Amino acid sequence: MIAITNIGCYIPEKKISNFDLLDKFETDENFITNKIGVVQRARKEPEEKASDLCIKAFANLQSKVTIDLLEIDCCVVVTQNPDFNIPHTSAIVHGALELTERCASFDISLGCSGYVYSLSIVTAFMQANGMKKGLLFTADPYSDIIDENDKNTALIFGDAATVSLLDAEQSGLVPLGFDFGSKGAGHKNLMNEDKLFMNGRAVFNFTAATVPISINKLLDKLDLTKEDIERWYLHQGSKYIVDTISKRLGLESERVVFDMYEYGNTVSSSIPLLLSKDIEKLQIGQKIGLSGFGVGLSWASTVLQKN
Amino acid sequence: MSNVTVEQILEAIENTSLVSDVMALDSDKPLRDQGIDSLDFSSVLFNIEEEFGIEIPDADIDGLQTINQIVTYVNSKP
Repeated sequence: MIAITNIGCYIPEKKISNFDLLDKFETDENFITNKIGVVQRARKEPEEKASDLCIKAFANLQSKVTIDLLEIDCCVVVTQNPDFNIPHTSAIVHGALELTERCASFDISLGCSGYVYSLSIVTAFMQANGMKKGLLFTADPYSDIIDENDKNTALIFGDAATVSLLDAEQSGLVPLGFDFGSKGAGHKNLMNEDKLFMNGRAVFNFTAATVPISINKLLDKLDLTKEDIERWYLHQGSKYIVDTISKRLGLESERVVFDMYEYGNTVSSSIPLLLSKDIEKLQIGQKIGLSGFGVGLSWASTVLQKN
Repeated sequence: MSNVTVEQILEAIENTSLVSDVMALDSDKPLRDQGIDSLDFSSVLFNIEEEFGIEIPDADIDGLQTINQIVTYVNSKP
């Protein structure tokens, strides 16, 4: 069984306050705090690229756990804002970390559903190829594609990166099963051509309609109930969307983790950022629920158990 | 669709759990002037779409500011 044993994170120190934009966007502190849920957004330096953020997340991981780089069998980066179109960002990370030539490296192009999708992809890849240790990075620096004058997106997204250490021989969080899906017909509702465009209402409708069904379907498949799940880690799209999903699923609010006030919606990094704070606190046998949703439009849900 | 009433629309709004007393809403005043912000308004429209099995295109939203406008609109849907 491949388990997530630890998670390293990088959130840039530089922050942009949404309270400084109240007049510009004709909004108020209550809306910013209690509806969007983003008081300030983490902002990388303009010259920093996705791979730089990954390497800083890895440094954080190394401060938590001893890693023998010679043992890493695969290096995967989830991003839709890669350093370059060619080569893949994971190759740049692989080079920077001086991983071995036998270490497989590839990128996965997914947005907010990316972490959950990638847990399935990478654990299956590792199992199929007898791999013991892998690094799963998430880094999607949206600050490069945001239109700072677009109220629909300018107040939401922040930069960050994470790296999950996946290990076949250590205890940690193990996926029990997944549910996936796509509504490709809606892809234009969240799209980057020149700058990021988001049809907020369409994305809200998609999420409110789809995610509760995905989670219920997954619980049925695993023969679990909501009460079996200790805590829920939903993609931190906004406070409003997390609250809406929780309400529609009838989840107790104290079991739903929410924390994006100080850095914003970090796309595929949002769930592992939350998990990194709790992974060591979870007890053996406890189960947690994850669901990522967004760009695509796509979604992925999973239940992880501490083994 | 026909015979959708103000009360049914109020019930759809109540089901969003966003308004403490839907009976206090004025059916002729824009919802946004009665404490329902843009995100809450999306929720209201979503609930109406779900409960009445209709689709409300973005282009129609400007004409759906009050409860009475919503009632007329829903009733005009086939």
